[in-house]
Amino acid sequence: MKIAFKINGKSITKEVRPSLLLIDLIRDVLKLKGTKPGCLEGECGACTVIIDGYAINSCLYLAINVNGKEITTIEGLSGTKSPLHKTQEKMIEHGGVQCGFCTSGMIMTTKAFSDKCIAEGITPTRDEVKKSLEGNLCRCTGYVKIIDAAEAVYEN
Amino acid sequence: MDFDVINVTTTDELCSAIAGNLNNNFRIGAGYTDLILELKQARVQDLTIINIAQLEDPSFNSIIEKGDHIILGALVTASDLVDNKKIKEEYPVLYESALSVASTQIRNSATVGGNICNASPAADMSAALVALQAICNILDSDGRERNEPLVSFIKGVRKTSLVKNEILKSISIPKNSSSHIKSGFEKVGTRKSMEISIVSLSYHIQCSSEGTIEKAGVSCGAVATTIPFASSACNFLIGKNIDAISEIERIGFAKKVLEYAIPISDIRASAWYRKEVLFNISKSIFES
Ligand code: FES
Ligand code: FES
Repeated sequence: MKIAFKINGKSITKEVRPSLLLIDLIRDVLKLKGTKPGCLEGECGACTVIIDGYAINSCLYLAINVNGKEITTIEGLSGTKSPLHKTQEKMIEHGGVQCGFCTSGMIMTTKAFSDKCIAEGITPTRDEVKKSLEGNLCRCTGYVKIIDAAEAVYEN
Repeated sequence: MDFDVINVTTTDELCSAIAGNLNNNFRIGAGYTDLILELKQARVQDLTIINIAQLEDPSFNSIIEKGDHIILGALVTASDLVDNKKIKEEYPVLYESALSVASTQIRNSATVGGNICNASPAADMSAALVALQAICNILDSDGRERNEPLVSFIKGVRKTSLVKNEILKSISIPKNSSSHIKSGFEKVGTRKSMEISIVSLSYHIQCSSEGTIEKAGVSCGAVATTIPFASSACNFLIGKNIDAISEIERIGFAKKVLEYAIPISDIRASAWYRKEVLFNISKSIFES
């Protein structure tokens, strides 16, 4: 099946097998390895990417359904020439990264959530920030520093 | 995991895709949050997926008001419900149940139609919709429509009344007749997030301005093979004052809810525990 979509600002047209999962399109076809395969069952959030503003699990999404849509992966947030995104900076500042396997998923979830909060003009409570990360697991940090980092995104 | 996909973007295409595949093994794919997991485990051969994720028909993918009903398209996601102001204000039971579904990422994909058609007794949005006395609007491949109350549409674990040439198009819920409501969704699981209900209780109670209960809808999730509507518990409430329910009446109400619970013991909880929890949460909703 032929699909046309945008990924990290770049327009792409590809012929894909109908049952191809989005995570495999991203990692194996487009070679963007920042999106991580964890559980592959929708439990851990390591594979989180943003489609048209919404964070989704790319392990539970058919590649063909990105047709006409815009995907953002961790590689789209910053590069060698552009500075880190605020969510990434805060993660470093607060020491929210240990092995790093969960990090891109945490960042993508936090980015989608903070974009939404900022658009609606609200500053979420700590509990709301925590709730927004309920679909992301981390085996290293114990979460406190990650939540601190996600909350710090709203500081001026 | 391998299958063929027929992608449909209009309802006409959908109807002909269904009509043309009645002799084949096909499934409908919408949000895929359950279907992909199921297909990975089942390793089915010669399967066709009719993909409705790109269907552009407002009757399938929007929330609209029509006459004395609110109509939710089957492709409306849990996040669409959470973000809808009217749902949040007027149907807290539905808002809370949608918010309790798995995680943000899952809610952004998972559809209300999928939650219903999977026919799990532990499905949170379905449970809330049973309490709201929702009606399923069903379309067949010849374009004919029929309506059926959700409570009877769900026939058992993974069983609905849909026949092979039918698809769930939308769900209608009656508008509130009063603005004085007590409505909510209580769920007990083993942890807060990403959890399948051990027991859930949905309630949507409408009162007169003085607080007299005029209408009540109560359902319980994960305690039977279907999602029962606890009509005798609802009838028990009619005529009582919402702000003056005594301890004895609370117990009476909880006992009536429990009549609908025929739970099983499974890896998440024993039948005994499920009944205890259901009794206690039923009693607690009137303790303020
Ligand atoms: S890899 Fe997708 S949620 Fe774990
Ligand atoms: S830092 Fe290792 S899993 Fe989160």
